[in-house]
Amino acid sequence: MNPSGSMGVLEQTEEERLSTPNLEPSVYSDDPQERIQARRLRIAARLEARRREALGEYIDGKKESEEDQSKSYKQKEESRLKLSKLLLCGTELVTNIQVAADIREIHRRVEEEEIKRQRIEKLENEVKNSQDKFDEITTKWEEGKRKHIPQDLWEILNTQQLHCAGLIEDKNKLINELQQELKVKDDQYVKDLKKQSDDICLLLERMEEQVKDIMKSFRQELSHIEKAFELERQELLASNKKKWERALQNHNSKELEYLINRIKKVEDYEKQLNRQRIWDCEEYNMIKIKLEQDVQILEQQLQQMKATYQLNQEKLEYNFQVLKKRDEESTVIKSQQKRKINRLHDVLNNLRLKYAKQVKQFQEENHSLTSEYKRLVLQFKEIQRAMRHFAIIDDEKFREIWLMNEEEAKGLISRAFDVDRIIHIQHLGLPWTEPDFWFLKNVGPISQQQQKTATQIVEEVLKQADEEGLEEGTSESSYLDLPKQISAKTTRKILMLLCDESGFLIESKLLSILLPLEKNECYLLRLDAIFSALGIESEEDLYKLVKFFLEYRAHHLSASQISPWTQANLERSSLMSALERMSLMSTSGFEKSLMSDWDLEQEQEAESLLEGEEESSVGGEQEEEEAPPSPKLIHPNEVLKVLEAFVMGLRKPRNFRAPVRMTKSKRDNSKDSEYWKALATVIPSSTQNLWDALYTALEKYHLVLTQRAKLLTENNSLEQQNSELQLLLQQYLHSKINSELQIPPTHVFRVPTK
Amino acid sequence: MQGALTPPILSGPSQSAVSNQALMPTASQASNVAPQPSKTFSSSGPLPGKTKPTPVRRMRRIIAEDPEWSLAIVPLLTELCIQHIVKNFQKNPILKQLLPEHQKKVLSHLSPDLPLAVTANLIEDENYWRRCCMQRWPVCHVAKHGGSWKHMFFERYLENLLKHFIPGTTDPSIILDLLPLCANYVRRIRVDQFLPPVQLPASLQTRELSDSGSEVESEEPTMDHYQLGDLVAGLKHLEELDLVYGVKDCGMNFEWNLFLFTYRDCHSLAATIKACHTLKIFRLTRSKVDDEKARILIRSLLNHPGLEELDLSHNLIGDRGARAAAKLLSHSHLRVLNLANNQVRGPGAQSLAHALAHNTNLVSLNLRLNCLEDEGGQALAHALQTNKCLTTLNLGGNELSEPTATLLAQVLAINTTLTSLNLSCNHIGLDGGKQLLEGMSDNKTLLEFDLRLSDISQESEYLIGQALHANREAARQRALNPGYLMSPIIANVPGNSVE
Repeated sequence: MNPSGSMGVLEQTEEERLSTPNLEPSVYSDDPQERIQARRLRIAARLEARRREALGEYIDGKKESEEDQSKSYKQKEESRLKLSKLLLCGTELVTNIQVAADIREIHRRVEEEEIKRQRIEKLENEVKNSQDKFDEITTKWEEGKRKHIPQDLWEILNTQQLHCAGLIEDKNKLINELQQELKVKDDQYVKDLKKQSDDICLLLERMEEQVKDIMKSFRQELSHIEKAFELERQELLASNKKKWERALQNHNSKELEYLINRIKKVEDYEKQLNRQRIWDCEEYNMIKIKLEQDVQILEQQLQQMKATYQLNQEKLEYNFQVLKKRDEESTVIKSQQKRKINRLHDVLNNLRLKYAKQVKQFQEENHSLTSEYKRLVLQFKEIQRAMRHFAIIDDEKFREIWLMNEEEAKGLISRAFDVDRIIHIQHLGLPWTEPDFWFLKNVGPISQQQQKTATQIVEEVLKQADEEGLEEGTSESSYLDLPKQISAKTTRKILMLLCDESGFLIESKLLSILLPLEKNECYLLRLDAIFSALGIESEEDLYKLVKFFLEYRAHHLSASQISPWTQANLERSSLMSALERMSLMSTSGFEKSLMSDWDLEQEQEAESLLEGEEESSVGGEQEEEEAPPSPKLIHPNEVLKVLEAFVMGLRKPRNFRAPVRMTKSKRDNSKDSEYWKALATVIPSSTQNLWDALYTALEKYHLVLTQRAKLLTENNSLEQQNSELQLLLQQYLHSKINSELQIPPTHVFRVPTK
Repeated sequence: MQGALTPPILSGPSQSAVSNQALMPTASQASNVAPQPSKTFSSSGPLPGKTKPTPVRRMRRIIAEDPEWSLAIVPLLTELCIQHIVKNFQKNPILKQLLPEHQKKVLSHLSPDLPLAVTANLIEDENYWRRCCMQRWPVCHVAKHGGSWKHMFFERYLENLLKHFIPGTTDPSIILDLLPLCANYVRRIRVDQFLPPVQLPASLQTRELSDSGSEVESEEPTMDHYQLGDLVAGLKHLEELDLVYGVKDCGMNFEWNLFLFTYRDCHSLAATIKACHTLKIFRLTRSKVDDEKARILIRSLLNHPGLEELDLSHNLIGDRGARAAAKLLSHSHLRVLNLANNQVRGPGAQSLAHALAHNTNLVSLNLRLNCLEDEGGQALAHALQTNKCLTTLNLGGNELSEPTATLLAQVLAINTTLTSLNLSCNHIGLDGGKQLLEGMSDNKTLLEFDLRLSDISQESEYLIGQALHANREAARQRALNPGYLMSPIIANVPGNSVE
């Protein structure tokens, strides 16, 4: 009931216990016993403290319940202790018998051992004694054998008998003793059996007793515990009852209070309700009147609304009718429209079909036309090819004929020259120099020489320029093909410039390949690449380029103040004019050659006469050609501008090329006549006159010579007659008859010869 | 059916036809479901009914003519069937096919005298076997047989057969026929007597006829007992073997011949226990096992996989046998070794102590009533200083004296595993008792310490008893609430004892 109080008491006692030893035995005392005591107490106190710490909460938690049940708990503990002690004692009591039996057994064993030892000793002694006796007897037998007197023998035999009997008696005694012992043992066995059965009986008794006692004590303890519990329960009941009563009283009083309060409240509420009812009635009436009024108003409104409703209904019906009619109309229109749409759809479909048909038709037409066109193109190409073929064949034929004629003419000319030379050297005794004409070296038609490619020309130019460096002026006659006013040097310089400045047109790969090559080859290849990039193909273009450069320079010098744009325009225009001029020139050249075709034969005839004159004229021409002024170097920076202008200009004439080509395929006949005429007049007329004179003189000389010849032949014949006669004479002389003669004819002859 | 149909009725005419249609299938389902249980019932009914339909019909006919006939008298068909089954159980045992409730009824009415060949493997019911046991033996301790009445029945039945088996006269097939029936249920065999070949009355009868012949026969060849080999090999679950080669209750008919444990018996037993791997407990007591036989037996037990307890008490084992047992300690998982009432002396105890010093399996060692003396006692005490496993040691009646007591006192102060020690019937003396008391004062684990009849002063015995009491209380508290090491009561008691 009051756990804290009891705990407090406990603590107090403990405190006392703790405090008192602190006063009495001191650790610092002189007496060792006291010190030990003090230490022990200290350890105990510490242990106590630790235990409390460890179990603090546990004890606190259980404290109340334990103390509540303290009586029953105490009783339980007590009875448990009592019972366990009882059990222990009981088992001890029971096992005591076993222990007693054990110790008896041990004692018995010890005794048995002792007895056994004694028995064995005894037996051994007996054996010794009997052996001694036996030995005695046997020795006496020996003695007996020696005795011969019957009395002695009898005595001895008697004594022996006595001895033997004694021995047997001893043995018998021993056997008896042993049998006695055996009997005793048997008795002992029986006794032991009895004893054991007694023991077992005792054991059983004790066990039963024990069981009874323990049962009894258990029951007793159980009853004690029950009593304790009952007591506790009663106490608890009493206390609970008291509590209950107190609580009930409290409850009753409170209930009363509540009741009074409630009654008061009920009265209050009733009053309030009455008041409320009255108020509500009034309010209800008020509202009722108001609402009735409202109802009347609303009914009026309802009537009005009904009227309007009817009106509206009529209106709406009318509208509905109208709308219905309209709807019908619209349906009619709709159907019409639908029909129309259908019709139009049909039309559209028809048109589509037609369109598709037409498309097909036109496609077919287109196909057929294209195929025809293709066929025509092919035909045209074939015709062109044929034409080209024929042109080539014609050219060849022309060339062959030309060559044939030329060969013939040249043969004639060479004969004429031979003749002239013979005449000069043999007949006139004059030194003769072979006339050197350009047309003499010409082989084939003249116009063919002009169709070299630009690169070939360049190559030539460069080569010749090199040669020029070695032997200047000697071989300048070979520049005949170059246009006038422009020397190889200038062209070379221009080309070099071009080559240096427009390196960007060359591919880098090519440059890497070019490095190990010679200078000239390098230039050549570079120029080739540049020309291919610029679109320069033929010799003509090259010359145009060179010329353009020169013209540009001249122009630039003259109009240096004009802005570059206009300048470029001007350049272009000037270039155009130059190009046109050139093309004109070439055409006129052709005409000339054509014209000169007819007097080819004439020329051959006049060859021999006009040779001297030709020489001089040709030389004059050469001098004229040599004239070109060495142009100053064009500034490298301007080269690109010039090139740009040139390329722009070049593109235009190219477009006209196709028609021009056709005309160009016709040969330039203008020079031919000249050529052939020149060939004809290779021997000048003065020589021909000379030859005429010479001819007459020679004819006279011939007459003389013929006469001489006749005379010579006469002389020869005479000589022959003479020799024949001599031979005949000889034959006569050497014949055999001579020897037979007295005087051979030889003697005759010898004498005259001497 | 009704439950399913009621909702449309309740809903009345207001409900549309659709709801009715929707409900119809459920109703039909219910009607489909409903008959099934009735069918099952009917199907279960005829099964037992088929066995004997005609008499039932005849009965009905006869009773129908009886004016006093009433339904209440007619027993149920199942009841009748069950009765019939019970009656004919021996010829036609039907049990497994029945419903559980019917099985129970059948079993409760079966007589316990039915042949074992019928019942052994068929009936598992404990109540039936309980009745069998109660009928045969007035005192039954089921707890000793693993709590199973069936096990108890077969074990005791087999034990009875073995007890009364007389080699040469009894047919060995009696036991071997039982073997397939009891093989699954026998866990232990406890036979406290093996009869010798020629039983006493028989021999008496023969003696009357021809004294000399019977003597020659009985002496010479057939003193061997029943050979357990075949039986034990057939028992799959055998765990305990408790044998006594001797005759019980011979009383005044005592003859040494009755207690002969021959070498052939020994060899066959050794082979038997070696072959039985399930064996856990082997006891061979009161059988005059001497050193040689003990060595033969123990050799066969070396490295046995399951053996836990070996009891060779009340034999004639000497030091050599003890040495063999010591070897067995280190070559098996033996937990309990009992060599009580043998002739083990100092050397044997020393070898045992040597094995014990490093053993971690042995829990209990009993050397009561041997002759260890101080030599052996000291050796064992030394071994206990290192051993951490042994809890029970019995050295009662071993002529121990003060030197052993002093050593044991030291051991008690150190050792924390030993809970029971028996030194009764020794010569420990007053000083030895005081030393043991000192050792006890430092020990908190020992619960039993028997020092009766060992020449100790009563005072020290009393104080030791106090200490033991304290230890017991502490152990009890530990068992009650293992979390807390001490409780106030214990704390008070040792305080008192210390003071």
